[in-house]
This record gives sequence, structure tokens and C-alpha cells, in this order.
Amino acid sequence: MAKGILDVAGLENVRIFIGEVAEEEEEWEPMGPHPKPGITTLRNWDFKLLQRYKPFYAPFCDMCCLCTYGKCDLSGNKKGACGIRMDAQQGRIVLLACLIGCTAHAGHARHLLHDLIRKFGRDAPIDFGPEIAVEAPLTRLITGIRPKTIGDMEEVLDYIEEQIVQLSDALHTGQEGSFLDFESKALHMGMLDSLAKEVADIIQIAAYKLPSSHPGGGPDVPLVEVGLGTVDTSKPVILVIGHNVPPAADIADYLMEHGLEDAVELAGICCTAHDTTRYYPKAKIVCALGRQLRAIRLGIADVIVVDEQCIRADIVELAQKTFTPVIATNDKALHGLEDRTYDEPDKVVKDLVEGKVPGVLILDPERVGEVAVKTAMQIAPKRRAMKIIMDDEEFQRWVRLCYQCGNCTLACPNGLRIGSAMAKAATGDTKPLAELFDLCVGCGRCEQVCKRHIPIVDVITKAAYPYVRQERGKARVGRGPVWDTEIRDVGAPIVLGTIPGVIAIIGCGNYPNGTRDAYLITKEFADRNYIVVLTGCMAIDAALWKDEEGRGVYETHHGRFDAGGVINIGSCVSNAHIHGACIKIASIYARRNLRGNYEEIADYILNRVGACGVAWGAMSQKAASIATGFNRLGVPAVVGPHGTKYRRAYLGRPDIEDDWKIIDARDGTEYRFEPAPQHLLVACETVEEALPMIAKLCFRPSDTDRGRSIKLTHYIDLHEKYLGCLPPDWHLFVRTATDLPIARREELLKRLEDEHGWKIDWERKRILEGPMRPYDPSFDPTNLPRLIRKKKE
Amino acid sequence: MACEPFDIANVPGPAALGVVATPEAMASVVSSARRPLLVVGSEILRDDFYLDVAIEIGRKGIPIAATGHSIKGFVQKGYTDNVHIINLHELTNCLRDPEWRGLDGGGSYDVVIFFGILYYYASQMLSCIRNFCVRPLMRAISIDRYFHPNAAMSFPNFRPKDEDKYKEMLKKFVENIRR
Ligand code: SF4
Ligand code: SF4
Ligand code: SF4
Repeated sequence: MAKGILDVAGLENVRIFIGEVAEEEEEWEPMGPHPKPGITTLRNWDFKLLQRYKPFYAPFCDMCCLCTYGKCDLSGNKKGACGIRMDAQQGRIVLLACLIGCTAHAGHARHLLHDLIRKFGRDAPIDFGPEIAVEAPLTRLITGIRPKTIGDMEEVLDYIEEQIVQLSDALHTGQEGSFLDFESKALHMGMLDSLAKEVADIIQIAAYKLPSSHPGGGPDVPLVEVGLGTVDTSKPVILVIGHNVPPAADIADYLMEHGLEDAVELAGICCTAHDTTRYYPKAKIVCALGRQLRAIRLGIADVIVVDEQCIRADIVELAQKTFTPVIATNDKALHGLEDRTYDEPDKVVKDLVEGKVPGVLILDPERVGEVAVKTAMQIAPKRRAMKIIMDDEEFQRWVRLCYQCGNCTLACPNGLRIGSAMAKAATGDTKPLAELFDLCVGCGRCEQVCKRHIPIVDVITKAAYPYVRQERGKARVGRGPVWDTEIRDVGAPIVLGTIPGVIAIIGCGNYPNGTRDAYLITKEFADRNYIVVLTGCMAIDAALWKDEEGRGVYETHHGRFDAGGVINIGSCVSNAHIHGACIKIASIYARRNLRGNYEEIADYILNRVGACGVAWGAMSQKAASIATGFNRLGVPAVVGPHGTKYRRAYLGRPDIEDDWKIIDARDGTEYRFEPAPQHLLVACETVEEALPMIAKLCFRPSDTDRGRSIKLTHYIDLHEKYLGCLPPDWHLFVRTATDLPIARREELLKRLEDEHGWKIDWERKRILEGPMRPYDPSFDPTNLPRLIRKKKE
Repeated sequence: MACEPFDIANVPGPAALGVVATPEAMASVVSSARRPLLVVGSEILRDDFYLDVAIEIGRKGIPIAATGHSIKGFVQKGYTDNVHIINLHELTNCLRDPEWRGLDGGGSYDVVIFFGILYYYASQMLSCIRNFCVRPLMRAISIDRYFHPNAAMSFPNFRPKDEDKYKEMLKKFVENIRR
């Protein structure tokens, strides 16, 4: 029966409305215990995680000012007027951050779905080609739905939105009071966030036929150009910024339909850049978020098209300074512009080119292409006649004006010592100033406090200009989902540990020490045969650096989901495919049921899949919800030092024995086990510290001795390379002599004997006494008593 | 005396003491501490002078928690006696637990000295200590070149050109520690 209105014959005045018709569900897999979990459904799982990885709070602010009882001073873990304590208030703020992050993804997904259904119809099939049968692992896992068309995702979004409302309600004064329950809710929000990302990416892959496993997809995606120096400014340039691809896709369509691909440059910043190249590989990725302000100030864009998320709030003001009109395309970021969606395109173009308006709103993505392209083509010759980059004399004037007051340093989030670099530049040495270019996160805070009104960002950019012009790298186009066939090949080595880990390098560019860290982390792990997957800003920044032979990390490493691969998965919403890959290991390799079975799969991943997220420049609330979503699924994450400002970490304490108990599902025997993984969320101060930490967080209790030995080799080696000595806790991960790195077995056995008092049988090179648990290759670790197969008599 | 936070908007709230103290006053707090701990970060590696200051404090019997990748410097100098490698998040997490056995098994600490740590990471950890290490009270002091409102005592901000003045203050601090 179809949805609609039914007129019953003979009863002309009676009309029966038929809403959702329960279609006969094809029994593709038995339904698990937790389809469409509510707030409390997975609370027990959360509490298991939170018991081992206790929330750690570092308040960013001692006060709460959310209601009129306040402001309340919560310092010293005091209670506010409503009774909430500082720790619970921190949990509340974490939930709020995850809410903001999750709604950004869910709102984006809903918006996209509206647009795509309108353009392609509800029945546009989700068909990712011959290598992908599990098309939507998170959707299957969390909701029990196996989507066949993009329209099927409406029900998934309905579920997400309902849950978001319930969770947000808990933020109100006088609702939740326990920090642990705030955290459980944050984990629930994080899970919804991961699901929303999957919906968004799946529908755009399906509708726009972005790379999947059809020919040319997966490891065969092309390379695209990345960097501020890649844009050919002899042509008109359209710069797209944000996360929602339909307007940019419409621009690409217009260029292709009119044969203008070689006449106009389409370039992007942030995730819209990723997604545009997935649709139109001629597009270029100018930069990640951290360079946004500078890319705009450089004036390379003849027209800027913004959609949603991570767009500078002062975009129109900035663009006006370089005579660049702005087209806003999304109701979430209107920037005060006038709605000209249904005006005659040529009239809109004329107003933009003549500068009668600083920008316009065009809310129908299918009407953006024509206006953007025509505007860029008509305004480009005018703009080329203007002077935008400062000349040498002006530069010298500014640097001489600086009197090293230090105000800019106090305003700079990275505390950059700008004044002393200015002083050097005044004597002719511009190198220190140029070096600040990559360390600067491009916020612009410094300029607002400079009493001499020095345009500091432009002065730094000018000093670095020769470098900026040369900034040209290559990244593989975002390839979207990992193939089921790839999982079949690597499932065993990942679970056994012989591929030492999957390193997920994700998120924003609020780095402590510049973009080079993104490259270094990628290269270090790929060279060691980890699988390195990247999304978002870090996927872009990793492409900016090169080896001695001038090759970037995407050029030196293959793009298969396999040992040593460097894989650009795509935009931020694409990182749902990283969750997806972990889930598929459980389903395809280990044959666990997915459907409505979140808890069991998360338990599987936590114990067996040596994956670790790295959000080295995590900045946004989305990064908070993304990390929290990874954590609930059993994937730990390392953040950079700015990540401490999220206020909360999930830290394990290896010294508390009771926190490290695990069950053997074969017979229910409980073991004390090594801290594997030790944390769910931890910040490192420097990249040198982070590298061994990332390797350490890839240990899993299920590692075989061969796998453990490889993981230990890298952990020890990275620690020695970057910290100059053996890690203090390496012995915790040794269960048997064969766990030790082969090349150093003897030396390490000796250390175990001398430094840790272990008993060694030197003749047989075996450990007799010392490890906290025995090694058993058939060990079947779980945290869930319900999974014990046969209780010991 | 108060001062501008190094990161100007980092104003935590009414209870943040943010006292700028003399090196002598800080040294006297350390001298009378039951169990002090020196926590160093990667910034001590920017100049041998700072590493030597840390080692000198270590030689006065104060254990050192080497966070970030600061351990590298101690290894190069051949001084690792009472130096313990630990991540700063991990360490602060332990500090907030009064039952913690400490880095050497002797129990937790009553005074922690932050030195050579990236400003904003240190600030967040100092905030945790100030807000949650209250029973028993733990005092955190910073001997970095930044004013830290989350520390019970700290130095003022130093500009690069005042590096020598800062070094003088560090010397005074070390000289005045009596253990
Ligand atoms: S919500 Fe509670 S803590 Fe916050 S201002 Fe109101 S009473 Fe104070
Ligand atoms: S724009 Fe760059 S230099 Fe200026 S305050 Fe921001 S990060 Fe620092
Ligand atoms: S605020 Fe201006 S004058 Fe002061 S140090 Fe910075 S650039 Fe120089």
C-alpha cells in the first residue's frame, strides 16, 4: 500500500489518511538488542568506559552564567545556586559542545538530503559498486536500517533529531546533576554525530556519484593540487568555503556545461574543497581552515561562495577589503546579505560586479553556478588592476613602526613572539617573520590590539610571500568508504596486530607548532606500515610538505586501505567511514552481527581493533563530538595541547589494578590486563611526545604475540627516537618472551630481570614469572558478561 | 599584585588568585613543602640554561616529572636519577587523587612547580589543580616566563628582550630553595 489519501467507495465523505506504511522488512540480518538506542539504552556501556577511563576536568572558566541565579562561582568544585557542582557543570559544557558539533553535522545532513531529494529524487539508489556491500555500517549498527535509497535516510535523520532534542533538554538548569550521566549523554551525542556524518556522506556519494568502488574510485582516485600557490590567478577564480557541496557542484556543472573548465579556476578551502574535488577533480584545494583569513586577504578570489561551518564570521567585511563579492548559500550562515535567490541572474551579477552590494544570498544551490561564474569572469579584469598585496616599502614602514610592546603576543593563541620578529625584519632579516607564517593559526586577534594598527597578518604573509607562492602539494581525492574487499584482506592482520594500527588523522588546524606536524605524523606511521587515514583539514595540511626528493606523502605512499597506505577519506563527514571500517572489521572479518548491536561491536573494537584517532589541531565543537563518537565506539584519540581547552579528557590509570579487569568470553574467567588502550582521550604537549603515545594507544588485549611484538617495536622505537630513551611502561605490555621485539629480545629480557625482577629461563629464553597475565592466542576478551559463552563450572 | 594573563582573555573567575610572587617567596613555599614536585615541559629544551635549572632543583632532592618530550634533555645531560617520564594530562589526573602513590611510591605532593610548559596546556592543568585538588590543598606555582592566573603563585610575563631578567629570577629561586 502506498502513502497517501484513500477514498473509500460508497463512503464519499470518508477519507482515510495513510501515513508511513510499514513495509515488509527484508530479514537481512537478525535484529540485535539495541536498535535506535535511547538516552539510557547504552548507559551501561558508557559507565563501563567511564569506570576505566574516568572523566578528567580542567575548567576553562570557573563560572556559570546560564541562568539568572548566576553568575555562580563554582571554583574549588563548589555548587552553583541550582545545586550543580563544578565537575557536573564541566560535563554539561562538554555535552553542550557535543550538541553544537552534532547539530552541525545533522543539520548539514538534513539540509543536504532536502536538496538532493529535490534534485535526484527519494529513490536515488545507494550503490557503491561491486566492492562495497555494507554500504552504511553505522546506520545498520545504530538504527538497524539497511538503506537502499537516499530517501531511506529520512528515517535515520528522524531518529537522530529526536535524540538530539532529548539530550539538549538535559542541559537545562535543574535537569541532569551527575557528571557521569552528562558524560554518558555526551557519548550518546557523539554516537549520533557519527551517524549524522555517515548519512551526509552517503547521500552525497550516492547522488553525485562521488568516488566509491565504481571504476576510478577507492585507491585509484586521482591526485589533486593543494596549496596557496596552486591557484592560477591569470584566470578568474571562484573560491568556495565551508562544508556543503551542492552550490560548488552547481558551479562545476555550469563550468562543464559551458566548456569553461580551463577558463575559470574553481578552488576551495576546508571540507567543501575536499568534496568539490571528489566531484570535479579539476578543482583545487587552496588550504585548510587555518589559512582561511590569509587566503582571503591575499585577494586570490574573484568571488567567494560560502556554504556552512568554519566560515569566518567577518567574511563579508574581509572580502570587501579585497573587492571580492560574497555569495552566501545556506540559511545557517546568511551574513546579513540580501536574498536574491529568484532575481534575474544577470541583474545579480551586475550588482556584484559593480560593487553595488558586498554580496548576495542565493539559497537554491542550483542557481549559484551561473551567478558565481559570470561574476568571477566579469570582475576578474577589474580586480587584476587593483593593488592587493603590500609592496616592499609599505612592509618596511610597518615593521619599523612596531615598538615591541608585546600586546600582540598576549593576544595570540599560540603566544607568537611577533614583536621581536618585526624588529629583525626592520634590520633586513625577514626570516623570523616569515617563519611565523606557518605557526600562525590565522585568527587575526593580534591586529586588534596593536596600538600602531599594524596589519600583522598581512605583514607576516608579505614576509612569507616567496614561500606562499611556492606552496604546492598534492593530495589524493577523498575516496569515501573503505571497501569490504579491503577489509577482508586486512581484518585479520589488524586484529592479530601484525598491521600495528589504523591511525585516523582528522579534524581542524589549531596546531601548536604549524602544519608540518600533520605531515610528520602521517609519514612516520605510514613508513612503519600502519594504515593512515585522513580527513578534513589535517588531510589537506599533510599534503603541504615534501621529502628531500620533493614528493608529498600522498605521492610516496599508496592509497589502499592496507599497510603503509596514506588514504584521504574525504571531508569531515567522510570520517564516518573510519568508524565504518572498524565496524566492518567486526562484521566482515569476525562475522559479528551489526544490526542494532552497538554495544557488542564497540566492545569488539575496543578490545581488538588497534585504531587511534589523532586530532592534533582540534578546534571546533564538531571535533569534540567527533572524538566523543569515536570514543563510544572504542576508538581512543590523541589531541594537541589546545585540546585541553575542551575541558575534559578520558584518562586511564594503570596504577589502579581494579580498573583493568577483562573477561575471557570463552568461559567467563576474569583477568587483570595491560592498559590497552590506556586512554580514550589524552592531550600531548608536542608532536615528539604524541608519536609514541599514538603508537601506545594501538595496543589491544587481543594482540597475538607476533602483533604485540610489532606494536612494541614501534612504541619503543618512537619513544627512543623522539624522547631519547625507553618508555617507562614498556614492560606492562609484555605477556610472554615472544611479545618482545625480535631484534632486541635478549636485551629486553635482561632488563625485565634486572629492572623489574622478572624470572627468566635463559636456556629456553622464556619468561617464568612477571607478566600480569599469561598469553593465550585464543583469548577472547570482552567487557560484557552477557557475551560469555559457557560459564566455568 | 596581579598582572595580565599571558593569554589575555584567560581570566578564569573570581577565585583565581593569580599572585605575582618574588622568587624568594616561591622558594620559601617550596622549602617548607612536605613533598614538592617539579613538573617540567618541553619548553625547557629551548636553552641549556633551563635544563640546568631543572637539574639543580632536582639535585636539591626535589623529584622531577618530565612531561612532553623534556626527558630528552635530561637523558642528553646524563641526569635521570629522580626524573620520571609522564604525560602532563596523566600526571594531573593522578595529582587530583589524594590516594595516589606518587611517582616514587611515597604518596602525593603538596606543592607542584610548573616549569617550561606550553602556556595554555599548563594553564588548563593548573585550573584542574586549583579547582579539584582542594582536600588536601595542593599548591601549584609556576616559574615560567608567563603570568598564570590559575597558579597560586607565578612570575609576571617576560618579553624576549627581558630573558636575562627572567634568568636572574630563576637563579634566585633556585638559590633560595633549602631542603
Ligand atoms: S545554571 Fe546553575 S550554576 Fe549556572 S548560573 Fe544558573 S544556578 Fe548558577
Ligand atoms: S593571526 Fe596569527 S599571529 Fe595573529 S594572533 Fe592569530 S595566530 Fe597569532
Ligand atoms: S602589538 Fe603591534 S607594536 Fe606591539 S609588538 Fe605587536 S606588532 Fe609590534
